[in-house]
Amino acid sequence: MKQRLKLEGRLAGHPDSRAWFTAWSPAGSLLASCGGDRAVRVWASEGTEWVCKWVLEDGHQRTVRKVAWSPCGNYLASVSFDATTCIWRKQDGGFECITTLEGHENEVKSVAWAPSGNLLATCSRDKSVWVWEVDEEDEYECVSVLNAHTQDVKHVIWHPNGELLVSGSYDNSIKLYKEEDDDWVCFDTLEGHESTVWSIAFDQNGDRLASCSDDKTLKIWKEYKPGNEQGVMCNGSNSCWKCICTLSGYHTRTVYDVSWCPNTGAIATACGDDAIRVFEEDPNSDPHQPTFSLVAHVPKAHAQDVNCVAWNPKQPGLLASCSDDGDIAIWRYEAELATGCST
Amino acid sequence: MAAMRRSGGDLFDPILLADKRFHGEGYQEGYNEGGHSGVIEGRRFGSINGAKIGSEVAFYSGFAFTWKCILQNNTDAKSSKKLKTLDSLLGMVGSFPYEDPTYDKLQEDLDKIRSKFKQVCSLLNVQPAFQNSPQAGMSF
Repeated sequence: MKQRLKLEGRLAGHPDSRAWFTAWSPAGSLLASCGGDRAVRVWASEGTEWVCKWVLEDGHQRTVRKVAWSPCGNYLASVSFDATTCIWRKQDGGFECITTLEGHENEVKSVAWAPSGNLLATCSRDKSVWVWEVDEEDEYECVSVLNAHTQDVKHVIWHPNGELLVSGSYDNSIKLYKEEDDDWVCFDTLEGHESTVWSIAFDQNGDRLASCSDDKTLKIWKEYKPGNEQGVMCNGSNSCWKCICTLSGYHTRTVYDVSWCPNTGAIATACGDDAIRVFEEDPNSDPHQPTFSLVAHVPKAHAQDVNCVAWNPKQPGLLASCSDDGDIAIWRYEAELATGCST
Repeated sequence: MAAMRRSGGDLFDPILLADKRFHGEGYQEGYNEGGHSGVIEGRRFGSINGAKIGSEVAFYSGFAFTWKCILQNNTDAKSSKKLKTLDSLLGMVGSFPYEDPTYDKLQEDLDKIRSKFKQVCSLLNVQPAFQNSPQAGMSF
């Protein structure tokens, strides 16, 4: 296989601890990372080097599990095993923690901002998903507590355009939520994974969903609207999400994270076998039964479990990853030319 | 010959099959007694559990009602949002089926009420301590 994923830089992100997650700012210029050292770091590129510009400490008492940028890029949310969520505001020369959201009973596992920037979702080991509303004065109010999962909720993500919330859990399922009469309700459950669902990612338009699991597979789900030509049954006015592809046999351990590049359409995975893999949809594959091929594979991408992969939203093919070894790595992926001159 | 064997069989049957017969009778007696004490135990457990759920839901009811009284004269946007959520909680508590233990969504509804209560606490910025009996702190 042609090596199409090249290492651009390796940063000692969270030395002597685990680097749990990385998130690119919406403009793609900053990279936030978090880890077991209870800190959030914000990185920027200076020439060919990536340097740590800010260290956000004293926000959390325990491991910071995930971070998320607001769509405007001025706020950063961090969630921690200390059961809290911190909201950081970017202002001249640094970040300031403007509020701490409490409510979860124990470890908060994931956080995501809705595309409007007015809603924030968090999920926890306490099996619940919380939806928060933000007002103009930066005040956060809980608008719903959702207890649809029967186990630890690992990941939450919003649809890229609409107010559709999705969560994945240790109960092996994926749940979809929407707003209904001033409250949020779970309207669909996607079952198919045989073990913990660790992460979920939408494609650029939000028509498809990729989920990865402890069952070592990656699944692709597609939205079918009511009255679709394919005759996929829908429940009332709700869309139905159907699994249209399962990628198995590629990963030898748990797949911890998945990222779907909004620019190139490539799917990257972070795996417990220390490897990073990139998949692309085969040209001319049936949209209702697509096939994907492994196009890049870096076996020893990190010295330990790879926890996260994240495509840069603006620079096509720029990928960040981080690992239990404490490092952050920056990769450059060369997409196959559309003209097909790949000989 | 056949008759003799049968009468011989009849003669010894009660002895030969006594073991089986006593075993069967004993089983039946034990079964009845076990069933009886099971009903008693189940009734006791059910009433304890039902009381727990009842007092939990009633706690939410009292909590929500009290807060509604405190806030009802406020007209600002924040308070009206809180009142709306309190009303929603009171509505859920009101429609909870106290009289029908066989209601199949009992647990589901209870979980929804608990979630709504958590949201209310977050909005009111309070962390209530649940203690309605001195020896056993409520575990919900």
